[in-house]
Amino acid sequence: MKQICRIIIAMCLPLLLCDPAIAQHSGPYVGAFVGGNVLMNAKSSDNLGDFSFKFDPALLGSAVIGWDLEPGNPVGNGRIELEYTRRNNRLDKVKFVEGSFTGGGDVTADSLLVNFFGVLHDSGRWSPYAGAGFGAARIEASGLKVAGQPMGSGSNIVFGYQLGAGVDYALTDNLNLDLGYRFFSSIRPRFTEVNGHAFTMDYLSHNAVLGLRVGF
Amino acid sequence: MINLLCSGFIMMVLLSGCGWDGTPTRNNDFVPLTSIEIVAVPSTIAAHTSTTLTAKGNFSGIFTRDITDQVTWSSDSPSVAAFATAASPNRVTGLAPGTATLTATVGSVSATFKLTVSSATVTALAISPQTPTIAKGLNTHFTASGTFSDNTTQDLTFDVAWTSSDVTVATVSDDPGNKGIVQAIAAGTSTISATFGAVSGTTLLTVTEPVLQSITVLPANPSVLSLSSTDSFTATGHFSDGTTPDITSQVTWSSSNPAVATIATTGGAATTLSQGTASINATLNDVSGASNLKVTGGNLTSFTISPTATTIVILANNTRVRMTANGTFSNGSIRDITGAVQWTSADPSRASVTAAGGNLEWLTALAATQSTIITATITPFIPFTATLRVTAPQLLSIEFSPTILNLTAGTSSHLTVTAHFGDGTSQDVTSLSTLTSGDTAKATVAAGGFGTERVTGVASGTTTISATYTYNGITFSTQFPVTVMVTTRTLRTLTISPQISSVTAGNQVQFTATAGYSDGTSVDVTADTTWTIDNPNVAILADNVNQPGLVLGVDNGVAKLTASFGGMTPILATTITVTGP
Repeated sequence: MKQICRIIIAMCLPLLLCDPAIAQHSGPYVGAFVGGNVLMNAKSSDNLGDFSFKFDPALLGSAVIGWDLEPGNPVGNGRIELEYTRRNNRLDKVKFVEGSFTGGGDVTADSLLVNFFGVLHDSGRWSPYAGAGFGAARIEASGLKVAGQPMGSGSNIVFGYQLGAGVDYALTDNLNLDLGYRFFSSIRPRFTEVNGHAFTMDYLSHNAVLGLRVGF
Repeated sequence: MINLLCSGFIMMVLLSGCGWDGTPTRNNDFVPLTSIEIVAVPSTIAAHTSTTLTAKGNFSGIFTRDITDQVTWSSDSPSVAAFATAASPNRVTGLAPGTATLTATVGSVSATFKLTVSSATVTALAISPQTPTIAKGLNTHFTASGTFSDNTTQDLTFDVAWTSSDVTVATVSDDPGNKGIVQAIAAGTSTISATFGAVSGTTLLTVTEPVLQSITVLPANPSVLSLSSTDSFTATGHFSDGTTPDITSQVTWSSSNPAVATIATTGGAATTLSQGTASINATLNDVSGASNLKVTGGNLTSFTISPTATTIVILANNTRVRMTANGTFSNGSIRDITGAVQWTSADPSRASVTAAGGNLEWLTALAATQSTIITATITPFIPFTATLRVTAPQLLSIEFSPTILNLTAGTSSHLTVTAHFGDGTSQDVTSLSTLTSGDTAKATVAAGGFGTERVTGVASGTTTISATYTYNGITFSTQFPVTVMVTTRTLRTLTISPQISSVTAGNQVQFTATAGYSDGTSVDVTADTTWTIDNPNVAILADNVNQPGLVLGVDNGVAKLTASFGGMTPILATTITVTGP
C-alpha cells in the first residue's frame, strides 16, 4: 500500500512543479467522480415528537455530462452540467428520550442536479471553481431498524440542491482532474413507520469528490 | 459572482454544522414491551382506603419506562378492591376485607399484583404540617396520615374529607385531583379538618398579611450620560396575594458602584458620575430588585465656564445674567454641564447663583460691591472662579428689540427688553420684566427658554406688546410698545433638518423644523414644535424648554425623533443613529 502511495506521489509531484500553459477547453464534456460523504445527524419527526438518526460515513459515485462555456462569453468563465450522484449511508444510531439505540438499514439518495460552476481561469493548469446546483433527489429508506426491531421504510422524490467548490487540474487540453467539495441537502423526505405513521427527516450531507472530466 | 457563490457556500456549510444536536421528545416504542412490573406502597390497605399503583414497563430488556398512564387496570375481585376513581385510573380502593388480584395490561403484555384489604379501623388522624403559618395569597398542601387498629399507618390524604372552619380566611380543596391543597384568602386563623368516618384530625392554620416576594425597579436598565441625572426610579412590590403596590418610598435605595452613579437612600433620581455600569437596588424586608444603569458619554476631562474666569462681570444691582459650564469628555464629546456644576457665591448677601431648571443658572446681583467671587466646582477638578462687580447706577429707560414683529399665526418669535443705565451700561432684563399683550386674541406672550420671552401669533390682526420693569422699587415702562402683525396662513408642509443624523454618545445635534405655507412662505418653527424621541436609552432631547430640537446622543442604537407642529398633521419622523458610548 505504501509503495502504491509513493508511486502516486511521484507521479503527481511533476504536476505540481511543472505548470506550462494549457488551452482552455470549451464545449461538451463528460466526467466521473468518486468520493466520500458524511450524512449529518438528522432530526426526525413524527406525530409523537422528535428523535434523531446518526449515519455511518460512506462512499459516493457520480457521473456528469456538461458544457464548458466559451471564453469571453457574456456570462463569464464556467460550466453547466447535469450530474447524477448516488449516496448510500447505513443507519448507525437512533436517539429517543430513553437514550441512543443501535440502528440498522440504509438511506440512499439518488440525485439528478443541474449544476452551475463559475471557474477562475488563468494561464496555469490550476483552476478553482465554485457553484451551485438544484434538481430532484429520490431518497429511499430501506429496512430501518432500532435495536434490531423494524422501524420504517419508504422512498420519496424531493427537491434537492447543492453548493460546491473545488479545483481543476488540467492534465491536457481536454482532460481535467477535479478535486472538490459538495454540500448536498434536500427538503425533508417523508417515510412510513412500521406502525403506519409518517415521519420526516433532515438530509444534510458533506461530500469530498475526486474525478476526471474529458472534453470533446 | 465567484465571491457571492463562495460566501453563500461557506455560510451554508457553517449553518449545516454537524447536524441536529437537540433533545429528543419522542419515546422509543419500536422496541416491544416484554414485561410490566406493578409497584404499590403499601401492599396492604385498610377497607375504605385507597392507594395508587404505578406500572414500570420493561422493553425487551433494553430499557424501562414508567407506563402507568398507558396501562389498563382491572381487579379480579371488584367487591374487594376496585379502580373506582375516574380522575385517577391507577388508584385502587379497598371496599371489603379480602384479597384481590390487580392486573395491568398493555396490549398483550400484563402483570398482576396481589393487594390485601384488611379489616383494620382507623383510630387516629394526624394532619401535616401542624399549625402552619402562610401568607395571604399563597397555598400549601396538607396531608393526612391515619393510624389503624392493627398499629399500621397509611396515607389517607385522598380518602379523608377536608374542610376549613373559616373559608373567608382559607379554603381547602376536597376535589379528587387537589385533595388537601389550602389557599390562604385573608389574614386570620382557620381550623383545617380531615375526617375519615367518625375520626377527625385538625390543625390551626394562621394566615398572615401578604408578604413581599419580588421588587420591580423602573426605569429598567436605562442608559444615561455621565454628569447628568436619571429619571426618578420607582419600585413596585409584588406581594403574595397578587397585589403590586408602589413601594418607592418604603424601600432602601443603593448603588452597587458609587463611582459610576449615586442615589439617595430615600430614592429619586440617580446622579451619574463616570462611564460604566451600576446596579440601582431597592431593598425591603430582605427582598431586592435592581435596574442596571449604564452610564455613557465618557468621563469628564476638563471644563470651562461662561462668563470666563478672566472677565469681570459687571451687573447693576437687582439684575442677573446666565452662568454656563461646558465639559469635554474622554470620548471626545463636548456638552453643557451647567446643571452638574456646584455654583457658590463668596458673599451670598451681594450675589447669588440659583438653578432655574435644566441647564439654566442665574447669577443675580443683590447689593453693590466692588468685587465678589463666584466659584464653579466639579470634584476632582480645580474650581473655576468668576469675579462679579455689582454697581448701583440710575435706570434711564427700557426698550424693546425688535419693535415690529410680523408673525404667522401659530408661530412665535423672541422679544428682548434692554435696560439703559446712567453709567452708560445696558443690560438684558427680559427675564425680570413683565410683558403684556394688548390683545391676547391676536398674540400672546410666554417664557421662551433661558429667561427669554416669546410672542406667539394667535389670529390675524395687529396688537401691541408692552413691558414693565421694576428697578430699586421704581417701575419703568417701555416708551414704545412692540407692534405685532399676525397673518393667518395655511400650513402645507413641515420638514425636519437634517433628515438622518448620526451622532456620538454625549455629543449633540440641533434639528430644525420648517413650516411651508400655501403662499410660498416658510417659517422656522423649531421653538413652536413639539419634539419627542421614542427611545431615551439611545438619544434624548437636551432641554425641551430652553433648547427645542437639540438632541443628545446617549448610547448605541437607533431612535426616532418626531416633530409635530400646530396640532396638525403631518407628523414627521427622522432617524438618529448613535455610536459610542
